[in-house]
Amino acid sequence: MNIVHHYSTHFHWFQLETSRKENSRVTLRLVCRNAVRSLTAEVQEVPKETRPTVRKSNAIARGQLKDFGKYAAECLPKYVQKVQITAGDELELLIVPEGVVPVLQFLKDNHNAQFANLVDIAGMDVPNRPYRFEIIYNLLSLRYNSRIRVKTYTDELTPIESCNDIYKAANWYEREIWDMYGVFFSNHPDLRRILTDYGFEGHPFRKDFPLSGYVEVRYDDEKKRVVVEPLELAQEFRKFDLSAPWEQFPNFRRALPASETVETEEKKK
Amino acid sequence: MASQTVKRAIKEVKPILSLDREEARLRVLNLYKAWFRQIPYIVKQYDIPRNEEQCRRKLREEFTKYDNIPDIRVIDMLVIKGQMELKEIVNVWKQKGHVMTYFKDTIEPKPQDFLSKFLNGKE
Repeated sequence: MNIVHHYSTHFHWFQLETSRKENSRVTLRLVCRNAVRSLTAEVQEVPKETRPTVRKSNAIARGQLKDFGKYAAECLPKYVQKVQITAGDELELLIVPEGVVPVLQFLKDNHNAQFANLVDIAGMDVPNRPYRFEIIYNLLSLRYNSRIRVKTYTDELTPIESCNDIYKAANWYEREIWDMYGVFFSNHPDLRRILTDYGFEGHPFRKDFPLSGYVEVRYDDEKKRVVVEPLELAQEFRKFDLSAPWEQFPNFRRALPASETVETEEKKK
Repeated sequence: MASQTVKRAIKEVKPILSLDREEARLRVLNLYKAWFRQIPYIVKQYDIPRNEEQCRRKLREEFTKYDNIPDIRVIDMLVIKGQMELKEIVNVWKQKGHVMTYFKDTIEPKPQDFLSKFLNGKE
C-alpha cells in the first residue's frame, strides 16, 4: 500500500510541474485525455441485456442440431413425421409408432449419430387425443456429446415394438411404461409389473386413474392376513372448479409449441 | 341425405396377438386350461381355506365375467394380463392374501332393500 501511495503522489507532483512550465503541453494533454475517454466509451458499449435470467440460445449448436435433424429426416422419410427444436435447444424427432425399431437402430448405428446410450424412456398421457399415450425415448451420443429425443404415440390397445434388442437398457424402462400406463410392448422378453404390488389393479399414471386407487389394503385381525377391499370414500367425490373467470396466463392457454420446426425435404415439395 | 346416414367406419388397427376371433378364442381356452391345471398346486402351495372345487368355480366365474367382448384386441389384452397373473401364482410371487383376493371373503354385500339400508344407517 505504501509503495503505491508514494508513486501516485510523485506522479501528481510531476504533472503539476510540467503544467506550470508549458501551456501548450497542457492543452495537448487535455486533447489526449478527451481522446482516451471517447475511446473507452466506445469499447464499453455492450448490448443491453433484457432477460438476464433466461438461458441464452447457442446459435451454432442449434444450427448443428437442425442439420442433423434434416439429415435424419432425409434418411428415414417413411418414419419421421416432424423434426423440431425445443426452446432449450433440444432436437426432437416425431415418428410413427411402426418406426420405433428402424429409427432407433439408425440413430445407434449410423456413423454420424452414434446415439449408443438410451438414457430413459418416458410416457405421457393426454386423454383427449386420438392416440392418448406418447412414448418418449431420450438418447445420448457420447461420441459427439449430443442428445436427441424421439417421440411416438399409441393408445391403450396398440402395441409398440420393443427396442430391447437394440438397447438392453430398454428392458426395465419398457416394463415401467407397461406398469404405469398399460402400453403393451410386443417382443419384449420379460414384460411384467415392476413397480406396483402383485394384485394391484389399474395403471397409476393414466389420467383417469383415481388419486386414491381402486382398492385399499389392510391387515385383518380375524383372518390373520392382509386383505384387499374396494375403496369406500367417506365423502362423495367432489369436483373443484379451480379455474377463475379471468385468465391469469393468457399466453399459456395451450401447451407451448416447439420453438422451431425444422423444414424437411418432403415438406418443401 | 348421404351424409346423415350413419357411417360404419372400420378402423384399420394393429393386432396385439390374434388376427381373428377363432385365434383369440383358442388363446382364451389355453389360458383357462393352464389355470385349471394349476388349481391343485395352488390349493396345496398357498394353504388357502378353499378346496379345488371352489377354486374351479371361482376360475369359471372370473372368465365368464368377460364373456361377451366384441373387440379381439381387448380379449388379447385380458389374456396377456391373465397370463401374467398365472405366472405370478406359479412362481409364488403372490402370497396367500393376494390369492384370497379373488374370493372377496371380507367384503360385505351392499344392502339392497330398504330395511337393511335403514339398519345400516344409510339413507
